[in-house]
Amino acid sequence: MGYWPGSSGAPTIQDVRAGRHTQPSAETAPDRRFARPVVSRHVGHPDEIGHRGPISAKAVGEASGHAEPQARPRARPRVLLITEGTYPYAVGGVSSWCHALLTGLSETDWDVLPILAGRKHQRPSVKLPPNTRLLRQIDLWSESNPPRRLHARRVAEHGSLPAQLLRGLMPWEGDLEGLTAALVRCRRNPESIRPEFRGRESWEAFVSELEQLMMDSHRDSAPAPIYDAIEAARLYQALYWVARTAAVPTPACDVIHVTAAGWSGIPAIVHKAMYGTPMLLTEHGVYVREAYLASVREAAARPGHGHISPRLALGMTRAAYAAADVIAPVTEANADWERGLGVDAAKIRVIPNGIDPPTEYTAPPNIKKVIAVGRLDPLKDVQTMLLVAKEVMRRLPEARFECYGPPTLGQEMYADACVVMHRQLGLGDRFRFMGGTSDPNGAIRSGDVVVMTSISEAMPMTLLEAMGQGRPIVATSVGGVPSVIRGCGLIAPPGDVHELATAVVTLLCDPALAARLGRRGYERVHRKYTLSRCLGAYDRLIRELAGTVAA
Amino acid sequence: MSSSNGRASELGNLSQATVSADSDDEYAEAVLDARLGRDARDVLEATVVLEAWTGRPARRAMGHARRLVRLDGPSPRAISDLDPFDDSSQHSVVAEGIALALLILSVAAWASPISRQLGPNVLSDAIRVALPIAVALQWGLRSRYLSRPEGLECLRRDGMSVLLWCLAVAVLPLLLFHGWGPVAAMMVPVWVGGTVITMRGWGLLYASVLVVGTLAMEHAVNPYIVLGSLAGITLLICLAAVRTVSARTDLRAGSMRRAILAGLIGGFIGVLLVADPSLGWGVHGRHPAIALLPSAIGSFWGGYYLWNFYDAVPRGLRGVPLKGASRIALSDPAMSIFVGGIARLLGGTVVLSAIVIGVGHWTHGTDAPSVFVAFGLVGLLTLLVGLLEAFSLYRAALIATGAALATELMWRSTLHATVPGGALVAGAAVGVMLSLPVLLIRLARSGGVLATTLWIQ
Repeated sequence: MGYWPGSSGAPTIQDVRAGRHTQPSAETAPDRRFARPVVSRHVGHPDEIGHRGPISAKAVGEASGHAEPQARPRARPRVLLITEGTYPYAVGGVSSWCHALLTGLSETDWDVLPILAGRKHQRPSVKLPPNTRLLRQIDLWSESNPPRRLHARRVAEHGSLPAQLLRGLMPWEGDLEGLTAALVRCRRNPESIRPEFRGRESWEAFVSELEQLMMDSHRDSAPAPIYDAIEAARLYQALYWVARTAAVPTPACDVIHVTAAGWSGIPAIVHKAMYGTPMLLTEHGVYVREAYLASVREAAARPGHGHISPRLALGMTRAAYAAADVIAPVTEANADWERGLGVDAAKIRVIPNGIDPPTEYTAPPNIKKVIAVGRLDPLKDVQTMLLVAKEVMRRLPEARFECYGPPTLGQEMYADACVVMHRQLGLGDRFRFMGGTSDPNGAIRSGDVVVMTSISEAMPMTLLEAMGQGRPIVATSVGGVPSVIRGCGLIAPPGDVHELATAVVTLLCDPALAARLGRRGYERVHRKYTLSRCLGAYDRLIRELAGTVAA
Repeated sequence: MSSSNGRASELGNLSQATVSADSDDEYAEAVLDARLGRDARDVLEATVVLEAWTGRPARRAMGHARRLVRLDGPSPRAISDLDPFDDSSQHSVVAEGIALALLILSVAAWASPISRQLGPNVLSDAIRVALPIAVALQWGLRSRYLSRPEGLECLRRDGMSVLLWCLAVAVLPLLLFHGWGPVAAMMVPVWVGGTVITMRGWGLLYASVLVVGTLAMEHAVNPYIVLGSLAGITLLICLAAVRTVSARTDLRAGSMRRAILAGLIGGFIGVLLVADPSLGWGVHGRHPAIALLPSAIGSFWGGYYLWNFYDAVPRGLRGVPLKGASRIALSDPAMSIFVGGIARLLGGTVVLSAIVIGVGHWTHGTDAPSVFVAFGLVGLLTLLVGLLEAFSLYRAALIATGAALATELMWRSTLHATVPGGALVAGAAVGVMLSLPVLLIRLARSGGVLATTLWIQ
């Protein structure tokens, strides 16, 4: 695996498929072989699968059998959008982006397949646009049984499924071909998953494979910790849900669009391996980075802890990267990570997020008010923001802070800790937690400066919204933030309370500078980060992948 | 000179750069130590930490990470964390036990007044119909709602209509049967509603209502009025118990398919209890249902102990190496809890049965030991089948209960044994023999049972 080789220009999908990494030519016609008809239960030709990328016919094994009917290009491509814990149930961030995409690309038909952590009732938070069909969600860790068929086929002996998945996902460099074959096997024989995972032989094969894995080493990774029985059972359970996710049927489509490289990549990998449908992966945050960050927060100072989750994320990410025809990160900083994780630079096309900015610039009100918009989440480092507020108020007592955003589901304890810290710091009414807002732009407009203290970001919508509203930004230098707000705000290292506070005080005390930076941001958004640019890029990409022409 | 100066300057720059890189590395190392409190596990982990907490771009962070990470240390041993066990649902166990005992005693106490006022076979016929229906509904409700965290909240969200619909479907047709029909129709809500009430922690209130009803029955109040009032009051309390659940929940209720299967298993056990005519509900002795008390209490005690299964097995396996968890040993958590539960059930049943037989002449209850053996075996079968159901081994549970029932019916029709409870003994014994090996095979290896049975349903 090579880390961050020099980046190259963006070739076409055909170049990527054909292994050519040259600049696209005007004559390059879309490869019609990959256009999908709207027929269900079609299976790609073995040769097609073999030539389409890193997943070979051997990996797919018996997955392929019948040649697919020749597809006729259609004016309205049908895209299967697979989301993970976001659209259409969550609000903001990736959900807002999905909604804008589905609404904006009205000439595309969308099927949305959400993946959620089970046991919860969820209701869509938005009304789906008319070109969108919501499929039955995949509930991870729920009680539901795998789908059953009336005439279940007898499963040939393929070896232990849990052990096969373990080999594919958990080593530093897993067996991706074996993994794909195992996932395809789950789709073809969904009724065999539960009995297999509940069988003693499967458990014993898994344990023996895991013991082998714990002895493996790699130049970039220490040997795995010695799992106790519970960690092993947890991993076993996680692999069961990987298998269950792979087993969920996916509808026929022209392009599969995956919104994260984790769980949502699994049905896409299977679909692509079975039918050869092109796969587009958009990475808002880098999945594996966020998994590692979460694990670091939860398992710091406990030597054997937190190995499963990041390693599983790494395995799923690598598999999704390998299967994707195009990876579209929202920022160059994410692209750096992707190249570092071994993605061929030719596959990567950066498509920044965009917003619909107001047509007129409004100057800051100059009332010494600082606004933050974001969920109460450890990744947003709200506690540093509280310390920054304390420091700012020490230097500028009339300063006020308003923090908009609800706690992230599952991070309520962190939100509570922030409230306790707020009390301990004696910030009182001068720093207010405002809860969620349906009008983030209005909230941003009401302040003079927007602050963001995150320790991990890709291309946050809040920054674009702040720039669109003409407000200067003080933010941490993480992910794509520096490249987005270049010249429109002040940057400080994450967690550096002194520098962040100094930046905020500078802007509050120098309204002219603040207004100048805000104006620059407003113009920069209009120039580079409009929604129409973002949608246009996706429209072209999807049509290119689908092999269709604009109507 | 200029060249020499230039060279010195170059060396100076180089040395400055080296010093700077060293101090940069030192800072990065300090950040890693501070954030992780241990060696980084791999290059990506170190990169993520440096990127997030020093603001270095990923490429640079990776460079530092590869220089700093030590990958040759010994493998750490994982000792898993477990969430603290929420045993709030067990706080009402004493009240639940009292309510159960009083329910059985009150049914026993109703025998004479009902037989006196409505005829000799009304109560036994009513019990033969009402008991299987009530047990089936109880098992179904437990599976879908009552045995899960926030189950009552789910029941509230899904609406009392679920409960009322179940009762209506199960109870209203009974009213069509003259004599025992209305009695059975009123018993079902008393028993099923009581389960919901006790799960809410209002077991003592329910017990008080039963005592008052029984006293009224003893004072020759019309049984229809007493049972009707009891059914109405139980349903009202049940409604209040569900409606007053404080927190709303967004958790899902259990699967309907599983609830139906659980109901079926419960129904089989209910029929098993009443299908042996030699038991004579309402025939043998003045208070025949008292014979049910020892096994019910023993079963309750054993079942209560097994309640810890989902918590105690992971806790017992915490820190146990994989090899250790794969061996077969009686001292392992799964097996020891299972054996503990069975021992409590059998011990409680035997001791209480001896007491009930001992005081039999005073209570005018059944004193035939075979009846106590029969009920004890049914208690054991219920416990085993309950465990199979909890492990989602529905097929095994249905086979065991179905075979038990078939054996009982065959015994009854072919042997016409005169031993009281003989058919039930045979049926329950077959059920136990079929279900016990399945569980023993599953529970023998604690590591395996956790992974393959408890956590994969």
